[in-house]
Amino acid sequence: MRLRSELFILFLIISVVPLSAVVYISYDYGKEAIRESVMYNLLGATDNTGNAIDNWMDARKDDIRVIAQSRVTLASQKEHFKEFLDTFEREHKGAYMEFYLLDLDGNITFSNLDRTGNESEEIYFIEASKGKTYVSDVYQSNITGAPEIIITSPVNKNGDIEAVLAARVSLENLYRIIEKIDIGKSGEVFIVNQNGDIIFHENRSRILLDNIKNNFAVKEVTYEKNGINEYVNYEGKNVLGSYYWMSLYRWGLIAEQNIDEAYAGILMLGRVLVGISILALMGVIFLAVVVSDNITRPVKSLEEGALGMVRGNFRPIPVASRNEIGRLAEIFNSTAVELLEIRKKLESKIELANKDLEKKNKELIDANKELRKLDELKSDFLSLVSHELKTPLSSMKISTEYLESDANIDPAGRKEIHQIILRNIDRQTRLINDILDLSKIEAGKTELKFEIIGIKELADASYENIKQLAKKKNISITLDIQDNLSPIMADREKLIIVLNNLFENAVKFTPDKGSIILSAREDANGITVIMKDTGIGMEKEKIEKIFDKFYQVDGSSRRKTGGCGLGLSISSEIIKAHESVIHVESEFGKGSTFSFKLKKNG
Amino acid sequence: MNWDATDNLIIELIKKNENISNFEISTILDIPEDEIVQRIGKISDTRSKILIVDDEIDTLLPLQRSLEVEDYIVVGASNGKEALIKAITDIPDLILLDLMMPEMDGYEVCAKLKTDELTKNIPVIMLTAKDTVREKVKGLDIGADDYVTKPFHLIELKARIKSVLRRSKNQ
Repeated sequence: MRLRSELFILFLIISVVPLSAVVYISYDYGKEAIRESVMYNLLGATDNTGNAIDNWMDARKDDIRVIAQSRVTLASQKEHFKEFLDTFEREHKGAYMEFYLLDLDGNITFSNLDRTGNESEEIYFIEASKGKTYVSDVYQSNITGAPEIIITSPVNKNGDIEAVLAARVSLENLYRIIEKIDIGKSGEVFIVNQNGDIIFHENRSRILLDNIKNNFAVKEVTYEKNGINEYVNYEGKNVLGSYYWMSLYRWGLIAEQNIDEAYAGILMLGRVLVGISILALMGVIFLAVVVSDNITRPVKSLEEGALGMVRGNFRPIPVASRNEIGRLAEIFNSTAVELLEIRKKLESKIELANKDLEKKNKELIDANKELRKLDELKSDFLSLVSHELKTPLSSMKISTEYLESDANIDPAGRKEIHQIILRNIDRQTRLINDILDLSKIEAGKTELKFEIIGIKELADASYENIKQLAKKKNISITLDIQDNLSPIMADREKLIIVLNNLFENAVKFTPDKGSIILSAREDANGITVIMKDTGIGMEKEKIEKIFDKFYQVDGSSRRKTGGCGLGLSISSEIIKAHESVIHVESEFGKGSTFSFKLKKNG
Repeated sequence: MNWDATDNLIIELIKKNENISNFEISTILDIPEDEIVQRIGKISDTRSKILIVDDEIDTLLPLQRSLEVEDYIVVGASNGKEALIKAITDIPDLILLDLMMPEMDGYEVCAKLKTDELTKNIPVIMLTAKDTVREKVKGLDIGADDYVTKPFHLIELKARIKSVLRRSKNQ
């Protein structure tokens, strides 16, 4: 799961659990409080109403008792009494429907409505005739149809009960009292007697004396209890009902209210709490998103930065805050920059190393080529030497075998063969001497016999050796050496070999009718000997190699020019032994100049 | 055998009339009788002809003498170019070819001989101081029929010449 989702869920859990608990507890408390307050109000209203009814009834009872005790009644002056009663009735605004007097036999002796009759069987008469002020049960008036009661009180004269005063009292006033109880639209307020009969109902259309004893409140109130409770009423509805027992009249006042209506406040509270919870939840979600976003964004950019670094397209991470993550981003940035620098350095180092390696590799390849070339040259040379050595041998062998054969050979032919043999012996000898000379000089075993000699003398000796060959090729040789040059200290024979070799080379590489000049110049340091020819010359890169052993400027031309590539090597070694070097200047096609400098004597 | 037009005419005349005399031929072709005798001798010469190619005259000469003694006709060439010309004009039965020669070496000469229709059937024996296996194989690859290293025994060379000639005649 992604960090953002994890944080989001965590925040949600942290905030929603306590929120739910708080909401639930407040709802619970609120519900109880509302219920209690509703009950308290209803109970209070019922009590107050009960009291009000009590007071009103007491007042009526007192009225009757007072009238019964008054002199007006005792005087039995009917006209006067009637007038008094009418006045009393008016003063009480229709509460009293009728006043009448009964004698002790129950006959109506006086009625302000002029009614007659006998009520000796009625309990209110019996009770009153015993000396009590009595309140009858509620009944429905025959005339108005309204609920009425009859209050009786004894009329005493000189301590004896002389008559009974009865008053029909309309309960119309009770409606006004009962109205003060707030029971909502669906509620009911009614009064039951001890038998559970409804004797008064706020709804005038209700038929009275309807027994509803199965009602919980009715049962309770008929047991003379006061209180409040929730129960199912006689109509099968859930109600909140309060009941109040008025012991004096043995009435139970019951106020019932539909439970949903009574507790509408609880429903409202629930709705409000749900609304608040939803708002709070939305707020929490919003906050969780914002907070988890704020936390994960820098982490995400760290992740992207790290990925970028791995992939090689690193961009610095924006540092949004000064907290730990911000510092981590800063550290990451600086580390990444350092790493990138190190990487660059490493790459350039590797590149350098690679270049170096390539260079070395190339050098090795070149060296290898050079070695192979040298090897080829060497085997070429060996094969040449082997050829050079074997050719005269082969010639001598064939010649000898021919002479040995039984063939009849004439003297001239025999002589010819002998000459071949001798010539090849010389050739072989010379070659072997050359090789031996060179190896001796190279090994440093040749001891030079230094003596004082003149250059001219050496040049003449060498010229004698070469002139026949030069003449054959029609090459002119000029000696440009003055007689008065200082003598030099050198090995005579060795220097003649050098000059011979140089002459032989010059003749070999100079075409017919060319010219060779041997000259000598003296200066303070010594005498420079120069041999210049008009030969074929050579390329610059070959000049360095001509003193190498076995080297031939042109391999394929060796047979044409003869020799096996040892002459210049021998010469070079000899001049080196005289503490000097042979210099060569040459241009391809235009001839070559060889020169060396020798020390003067002393 | 390098016969010229005159030789061909002489052969034609002899084919027409086997009993024709030298004098009659001499009269018909208007050539001295001595020359006719010489030419007929040459035409009827059945000896094998060997071309020796070697730049070393000191090797070529004693070898030529030795082979002439053995009754071969010997023609010499001192370089590759001369050898190629003589291989066509003299039509030798065998060529002894030296490998180490300036300008055109033995391998090149041999390769050229073996690619030319006129000369490819002439057997070649290579003579050389080079005696490594690699070089021998190279020579034989190019088409040489045999390979003799210098210095050699004359009798051995003669034996090889006979052997190669015998083989080439049988083919």
